[in-house]
Amino acid sequence: MKWRNVRLIFSRELRDQLRDRRTLFTVAVMPMLLYPLMGMALLQVGQFMRQYPTQVWLINTRHLPDQPALIADQQLNPKFVKPGEKELLEISYSESGDREFQDIVAEYQKLILLENGAPLADQLIQQAMAKRGVDIAVYFPTPIRIPTLTDSATAAASISPPSEIASAYLFLNSARDQSRIGAERFNGVLLRWQTAFVAEVMLANDLPGDLVNGISVELADIGDKSGKRAAMWSKVLPFIIVVWALTGAFYPAIDLCAGEKERGTFETLLSSPAARSEIAIGKLLTVMSFSSVTSLLNLISMGFTGLFVVAKMGNNVGLPGIPVGFPPVGSLIWLLLALIPISALFSAVALAAAAFARSSKEGQYYLVPLMMISMPLMIVPMLPASQLNLGTSLIPISGLMLLLRGLIEGQFADCARYVGPVCIVTFACCWFSVKWVIHQFNSETVLFRASEQFSVVGWMKSLVRERHELPSLGSALICGLVILVCKFFMGFVARTPSSFADFAFQTVIILVATIGIPAVLMALVLTRNPSKSLRLNSCTIPMASAAILLAIFLNPLFTWITAGVMHVYPPAGNLLALEKAVSSIMDSSPGLWALLLVFAVAPAVVEEIGFRGFILSGLQSLRSKWQAILIASLMFGVAHSVIQQSIITFVVGIVLGIIAIQTRSIIPCMLFHGVHNSLAVLLSGAKAQVIEPSPLLRHILVTENGVNYQYDLTAGLLMTALGVALLVWFCRLPANGVPLESSAKNPELKLRPVVN
Amino acid sequence: MIHVRQLTKAYQDLQTGSFKALDGISFDAMPGQIFGLLGPNGAGKTTALRILSTVLRPTSGTVTVNGFEVSTQPDQVRHQIGFVSTNTAIYDRMTAWEMVQYFGRLYGMTDQLLHHRMEELFDRFQMQEIRHTLGSKMSTGMKQKVSIVRAMVHNPPVLIFDEATSGLDILVAREVLRTVEQVRDQGKCVIFSSHIMTEVRRLCDRVAILNRGQILAQGSIAELSEQYAEPDLEELFYHLISESEKPNRERRKAQTVN
Repeated sequence: MKWRNVRLIFSRELRDQLRDRRTLFTVAVMPMLLYPLMGMALLQVGQFMRQYPTQVWLINTRHLPDQPALIADQQLNPKFVKPGEKELLEISYSESGDREFQDIVAEYQKLILLENGAPLADQLIQQAMAKRGVDIAVYFPTPIRIPTLTDSATAAASISPPSEIASAYLFLNSARDQSRIGAERFNGVLLRWQTAFVAEVMLANDLPGDLVNGISVELADIGDKSGKRAAMWSKVLPFIIVVWALTGAFYPAIDLCAGEKERGTFETLLSSPAARSEIAIGKLLTVMSFSSVTSLLNLISMGFTGLFVVAKMGNNVGLPGIPVGFPPVGSLIWLLLALIPISALFSAVALAAAAFARSSKEGQYYLVPLMMISMPLMIVPMLPASQLNLGTSLIPISGLMLLLRGLIEGQFADCARYVGPVCIVTFACCWFSVKWVIHQFNSETVLFRASEQFSVVGWMKSLVRERHELPSLGSALICGLVILVCKFFMGFVARTPSSFADFAFQTVIILVATIGIPAVLMALVLTRNPSKSLRLNSCTIPMASAAILLAIFLNPLFTWITAGVMHVYPPAGNLLALEKAVSSIMDSSPGLWALLLVFAVAPAVVEEIGFRGFILSGLQSLRSKWQAILIASLMFGVAHSVIQQSIITFVVGIVLGIIAIQTRSIIPCMLFHGVHNSLAVLLSGAKAQVIEPSPLLRHILVTENGVNYQYDLTAGLLMTALGVALLVWFCRLPANGVPLESSAKNPELKLRPVVN
Repeated sequence: MIHVRQLTKAYQDLQTGSFKALDGISFDAMPGQIFGLLGPNGAGKTTALRILSTVLRPTSGTVTVNGFEVSTQPDQVRHQIGFVSTNTAIYDRMTAWEMVQYFGRLYGMTDQLLHHRMEELFDRFQMQEIRHTLGSKMSTGMKQKVSIVRAMVHNPPVLIFDEATSGLDILVAREVLRTVEQVRDQGKCVIFSSHIMTEVRRLCDRVAILNRGQILAQGSIAELSEQYAEPDLEELFYHLISESEKPNRERRKAQTVN
């Protein structure tokens, strides 16, 4: 790569974009104007934002005790009202009771006891409160007296049933914010009054009144001011940075790719001495620059506007107890550091997507879904429950945002533990994205896509009309999508099995219906040679034996990978419940043969026909067999809806893909898959009476509690080494059946999706 | 200078499957000559020229430009050619000077040499007055001039004009044609694609008539006239295209009847 050309392209594109009014507006003018305008609007609106007093209606206040008095001088007793609350609680009361309301409450008490009467009862009170124009109503149905021990003894002697009537009713309408807030406010007053009441009761019964205090807890906030400020900014700043890095990459990416195609200058540039990779990198650097500048300008503008608004509005904004101010300087350094990989990632993805578009308008269609996909990854780290751990650190964007959050909050020890995984994942994503951009710029089908209107019907017809020996890339991808969609909906249709037979029936039916039938049907309709498409070729005995041995040898590795995945992503409640349900169903199986049939044989046959058969055959139209294997494995993984299972099956899928391509047959894959699943079943039910008598098994499997057997480390490592050696043997098999390995070398053969 | 042998280019189309835009064409173009590629729309002219300029890769066959193979030595080939495309392909937000300078630098020219060459070309094409005009403010004729200067700035031995007069008014078109002649007179090899017969007759030393990715006839205009006993190039072109379309028309007819 000639960096001189990259620099030339970068400086041209930069100058070009700086002369574009639309880009300048989005990148610079909008953030500079947007936030001050928003701030002004907030200040204007803020004038109307004040706390409105709650209208409280107290009914039958004559039933209230004299001591402690809830009402004094026709006002709420100041003893029970916190400073500032008095103005927010406007009371009106009816001392002798409101006749009409008493009738309503009597009706309410009747209705509430009836089945389905609650809605009517609620409606009754709601109407009465609306008529009176109050937010909450507090009703004291019976006189409240201070009981003494003598009264209690009398009550106990009379053996009368305990009264079901409450001492007080607080009616609120939670559908109205004002009513809900009012109820919270007045409930505090009632609680303090209740405590005073209990103290009075104790005094009346010759007990010290302060006993009622019980355990007193004093909240002591030891966080320093800057730390609290950092806690607030740590959630806001990473989000702002990421959202604007993505938004800032959008328009330049569209203009530099789709726009250039539209203007016809792209072809001229491609015929210049600049290599495609140099063009791609030059453009990528330009998009990155705009992405990071947009993000920074938004951050600065928002920060200054926020400070101004806070200064103007005082304590009416921000979170209670958290001081608002300029973010800590350290946080800005972390943000600047993080901005480089964030903008690189988003710029590369946006550029690659935009390269596919023929026009700016089309580019916008592609980039909106990108925003939709990224949003959940940006929002998850904002949630209070999200925290940085090994699992979250491996999620792209989310991991980086959580790391940023931790760094801003000064949790350096935690961050130091996960900075490695976050960096690896982030740089891997950046690397793949950049590779994708370069690939897009090298791909003729991307750069010179036909502009005729695409018709699904026409395409489907052509698929059937122009059938090839083996499936095309498009039909393989469609098959994968059909399988995924069918599996998703089958998850809703499936019911909880009542017995093992029911479970087995459902499992097999779902497998066949969602994977087997689509793959076989598509092979029959869309290809000229269905058996070859499904890779139903014979294989030699050494290959079959090697596949079985490979499954056995690699089992310890897969078991450890499973344990590692479970450690990183601990199973949540629903997965544990599922495991428990499956385990209890397994216990009720008629025998080991039935378990192996359902868990090993059926998936091995059906999933291999689908994923290593039809899908992988079609994906081999791609240039690289590794791309085909990875995509097929990804689909295989996603088809297992539980994330932990998806990760493990993805890894197993890669091994299966290698076997399928190298042996040209799914029979070794079925054998590997069957043995792999069988071992999982056998290991989960391994019993001492089976293991202990065998010296070999005793060396391979060890147990600490006599129930759960695991692989011995030395034996496991030895087996893994043998497995890897066997896998290398598979990789070195003559790939005489790999279709596009040969076609890539001979361009003439590229015409045909598959050549045998 | 340019040797094309059994050149095939196939595309995968989602609706029609694979189709060949070029189907085993062969021709040669020599220095000091203008080689014309004639054909109706969709004949494969642009595809052939895109392969010559390394924008597209051939599916099969060989193409050498000044001794360099397009598939294996694309970098060297790009230095040998100047490409003027159908549309004027000018950056709207760059001035004429900036645009030519940008490509000159991409061709690795030193600033001094580039400046000297640009002054010479701007003078020759009378472009000094539009030197600081942005692409968006230029007329179509001005744009095409800039495009030609941009293609010639590195003084390549081969120049490719892909329907370079399409959409231009008669005055500008004539100027472009004069330029093509001047370039030929300098001993450069020119590939000129067009479907305007008068231009081809005026300019081309040799022509190849393309339809549906195949060369129907090639040679000098005099040779073709003699071979097909048709002195008028337009008539000859029409006759050849009609003849080659006959099987397709009959097939469509049969499909309609059935």
